[in-house]
Amino acid sequence: MKQLYYDVDKCLGCKSCEIACAVGHSATKDLFKALKEERVSLPRKKVMHTRGKNYPVSCRHCKDPKCVDACMAGALSYDKEKGIVLHDETRCVGCWMCVMVCPYGAIRPNIKTRIPLRCDKCKDKDEPDCVKACPTGAVIWQEEVEIKL
Amino acid sequence: MKQFVIIGNSAAGIAAIEAIRNKDKESRITVISDEDYPSYCRCLISYYLAAEIDEGKILYRPLDFYKENKIDLLLNKRVIHVEPKKNYIVCDDKSKLSYDTLLIATGAKPKFPQGIKGIKKTNVFGFRTIKDTKDILGQLPVTKSACVLGGGLIGLKAAYALKKRNIEVKVIIKSRQVLSQMLDFEAANIVQRRLEDNGIEIILGQDVTEIIGNGDIKAVKLDSGKVFGCSMVIVGKGVQPNVDLVKDTDIKVNEGIIVDNRLQTNIPNIYAAGDVCESFDLTKKSYSINALWPVAVEQGKMAGRNMAGDSLNYDGSLGMNSIEFFGLPVVSLGIYKIKEPGAHIEELKLSNTKENIYKKIILMDNIIIGAIFVGDIRNSGVFLRLIREKIDVSSIKDRLCRENFGYPDIIDLLKDKECIYV
Repeated sequence: MKQLYYDVDKCLGCKSCEIACAVGHSATKDLFKALKEERVSLPRKKVMHTRGKNYPVSCRHCKDPKCVDACMAGALSYDKEKGIVLHDETRCVGCWMCVMVCPYGAIRPNIKTRIPLRCDKCKDKDEPDCVKACPTGAVIWQEEVEIKL
Repeated sequence: MKQFVIIGNSAAGIAAIEAIRNKDKESRITVISDEDYPSYCRCLISYYLAAEIDEGKILYRPLDFYKENKIDLLLNKRVIHVEPKKNYIVCDDKSKLSYDTLLIATGAKPKFPQGIKGIKKTNVFGFRTIKDTKDILGQLPVTKSACVLGGGLIGLKAAYALKKRNIEVKVIIKSRQVLSQMLDFEAANIVQRRLEDNGIEIILGQDVTEIIGNGDIKAVKLDSGKVFGCSMVIVGKGVQPNVDLVKDTDIKVNEGIIVDNRLQTNIPNIYAAGDVCESFDLTKKSYSINALWPVAVEQGKMAGRNMAGDSLNYDGSLGMNSIEFFGLPVVSLGIYKIKEPGAHIEELKLSNTKENIYKKIILMDNIIIGAIFVGDIRNSGVFLRLIREKIDVSSIKDRLCRENFGYPDIIDLLKDKECIYV
């Protein structure tokens, strides 16, 4: 199954991926219109800067997801075949247990909507919006590999 | 064919079922619960009471879960005794059931302090089960004001829900702060203000001595002599593990049932998990009950896997909780208050009263042993990880309280090799 990887040396921290993510998850899918939506769509990915490098951070869809175990509302489940943590927003109550246990800090609370923000791998599209949006090719979408550093 | 028996049908019990079935599709699994309800999200009863979710949302697993997993589910049945020497259990209807491997996941029950006169009156409720919730709901139409005893999580959640139902609520707290089991004074103040700003009255440093009324409740009386009128009382004075069933057996019990790092009791084919068990606490470095949903799931899962033949080690539990009141998120991890500051202990703090943001990180010999986050809980999971993995953070100490601190800052410190950044 496909995963998101990042070539950190290529990441300029331009946040094009963040914008594409927010627009892609908005109701209108249009940047200008999205900004006027009642519930402004927020990115499920954040580019973090440390020690001179930029690191895009988003849900990795762990195989043994701590968030699924911690979810006290039964809103999270792991789909083994698709390799994705599914989030049933209709069951979510915004208790933030998932935020508390995510070892990557990849789930962010949206206090206004009381629904956490997390990457859904753009599961209904052929490839994630962040991949298409990255101008330097730093976001890589490919079959799972073991990276040797 | 092997017979597993699981006593308890909540977080730990369900996690154990899923863990066993992941490995073993054939063995018999019998689940016994003294509640008359399929597995539900216990922590969601306050949301249900507040009318923020409907009853359908409270189920933890779909109704066909038991059938799908080939589970014999026995509801409304209380196990009154375990007979470890003969490998059977006895239920309240005198029925006996044999097991090869047993999991005790009986949870806990609310404490009703017997020192409070009138604590057994009708309309004095605990707030633990769906039944409690329905009993409270039944009284709402005739309730104008309620008193909540105890300022812990349960008490405050109950108060929040009642307030959402337009009931006048007073929370009476013996200690000098709210949430004294998860927050320090400063963090508790922010939470208290948020509750008060939203119309919940908080009375600190006073305890209830009597619940007054013949038949119907009329008022509660405090040790200060004050009397508050109300027609409903909810007791949130903590919980105690349901250990009666192992009384007079060889199973080791302190306050909860003692388990080792495999979630095994001192009897090899008997395991315990969840609110009933007392396990090694990673941050306190002693045995402790951490009666929390995520801990129960973690323990149930680990117990289930070991019951099914794995040999996994549980590194221990720790206090961790996340709550939200009126848009104010709060996370508490591990040790949240230092009783005696020592040379090895260090506290990092960030406080922004205007924005209602407060962060505190407690370190011992450069290893984080606890943290509190109020207002901004982003990346709290990264801290949980640093605590769990006992990582020396001396090289990043100056960054810990920064707003943009996150996972990338700790990559180099982790034992696990990074696998998505090339």
